[in-house]
Amino acid sequence: MANELLFFMEVLVGGLLAGTMYSLVALGFVLIFKASATFNFSQGAMVFFSVLAFCGFMQDFNIPFVLAFILAALLMVVVGLCTERLVLRPLMNASEDTVLMATIGLGYVLEGLAQAAWGVEVRRLDLGIGDFPVPWIADNLKLFISALDITAGLVAALMIIGLFLLFKYTKIGLGLRAVADDAGAASSIGIPLKHIMLLVWSAAGVVALVAGCMWGARAGVQFALVDLALKALPVLIIGGFSSIPGAIVGGLIIGAVEKILEVYIGPFFGGAIEGWAPYVLAIFFLLYRPEGLFGEKIIRRV
Amino acid sequence: MSNTSANILDIKNIEVRYDNVILALHDVSLKVPKGKVVALLGANGAGKSTTLKAVSTMLASERGKVTKGSIDYDGTSIDKQNPSQMVGLGMVQVLEGRRCFGHLTVEENIISGAYSRKLSKGDINQELEKIYKYFIRLKERRKSQAAFTSGGEQQMIAVARAMMAKPKMLLLDEPTMGLAPQLVAEIFNIVKELNQKEGVSILLAEQNTNIALKNSDYGYIIETGKVMLEGTAQSLLNDDKVKELYLGISKKGRKNFRDVLKEESLNKRSN
Repeated sequence: MANELLFFMEVLVGGLLAGTMYSLVALGFVLIFKASATFNFSQGAMVFFSVLAFCGFMQDFNIPFVLAFILAALLMVVVGLCTERLVLRPLMNASEDTVLMATIGLGYVLEGLAQAAWGVEVRRLDLGIGDFPVPWIADNLKLFISALDITAGLVAALMIIGLFLLFKYTKIGLGLRAVADDAGAASSIGIPLKHIMLLVWSAAGVVALVAGCMWGARAGVQFALVDLALKALPVLIIGGFSSIPGAIVGGLIIGAVEKILEVYIGPFFGGAIEGWAPYVLAIFFLLYRPEGLFGEKIIRRV
Repeated sequence: MSNTSANILDIKNIEVRYDNVILALHDVSLKVPKGKVVALLGANGAGKSTTLKAVSTMLASERGKVTKGSIDYDGTSIDKQNPSQMVGLGMVQVLEGRRCFGHLTVEENIISGAYSRKLSKGDINQELEKIYKYFIRLKERRKSQAAFTSGGEQQMIAVARAMMAKPKMLLLDEPTMGLAPQLVAEIFNIVKELNQKEGVSILLAEQNTNIALKNSDYGYIIETGKVMLEGTAQSLLNDDKVKELYLGISKKGRKNFRDVLKEESLNKRSN
């Protein structure tokens, strides 16, 4: 009995921590959705692009770890800058659907650029954090939890705190929330949209880099990261597209549910339900709570 | 009104097109003297909003363009400016329909108006207190989410937010739309006070001709993108045609200035 409970705890905690990896990817989507009201289909490509560049700097140019990370983050700011100037500004007055299509195109450009610059083979990324159970926790709590999962959890927590403080207490955060509510009114009182867009795309780029590091360390830095990022879609549907806490909680729910279902119900379906169970959950949310758990309710005066 | 330096805004014969095709303004000229309130009157679709957006340079975001004529603000052309630069120069538009940031609190809404100014936290609080003197109602509600405030309060938020940018000139687009008469009076009192105490020049687009003229110094009446009549507020209030067409004191079935002009020319011919 005690063993079964312990096993359940292990599945749950493992799932929750794995979920924070989804949360990290989802954060990038939320940032851009807040400012442009657009689902950024190129977020997956940004994850791939950023972490491949990070690996490239380290492995091809022998740049030390920290410096390579900073360079990759700066590169993502440049990507943000180019995106704002070359894609978003010309589409300033276009419909949200047009911008959505543009992000799909942008995704292909980034994928192509990344592979042209750094090659197509799978790279190994060693963060110095092993993807194996932490001995201390295994000995004392009898739980087998990966060190990488714990790191991802901590990183996700730090990022959410950082972003929360940025939005709530800084001037540019206020500007961003204003633009998210009504871009036209924001520009009528002198909030420069291009600065906000630049900030948001750069921040989403850096978040993509962090998420890419975590995923790259686990699964190898490879093209499949692009599709992995789409796992963020059910996360966002559950958490709400415009909510940062929602991205975190959504990720935790998806991570936990998918592991628990896989272990306890999976065998009845012949296993491997991890891949689609989150989407089933997402469909239920779309039916009964379309704004997600934390999404901003559409407030309308009556 | 011939001395140009006395005018903070000088619009000369502008033509505005949307999408390079749709002609919204044919020929609009108007002046706003420094420190005065000027009313821009007309029915739906006459071109009031388009005129204001041409001035605040917000036309571009709606694919509109000034294709002829010129607009001078404070003695210089606004040709090459964008909306945030105009705010920096002291020209702020309060858009039609209030357009508050619904998910922000009332106070955050007002503070967002100071975005273009480099102010410290202390300066912002000082400015806030100053603004709250005009909008007492907003101070009581400053922690509530803007979307949950009443229509009148939202209009006050929109004006207060614009005032935080420390404008020399305000463009008000139908500030009384959909408000109860008592609130309309309250809004106009605030506008009048801002004009007198803060010295803000105001260009006011309104459909509510009567109350707008009573609170203005000068008025223009536009119809289908053309200025049909202009004059001091008093003279417009006493004008028979304005009374008939805009103040609802109608005897004949004439609906607008074009009908009046047609009738007059017919009368001339028969004489």
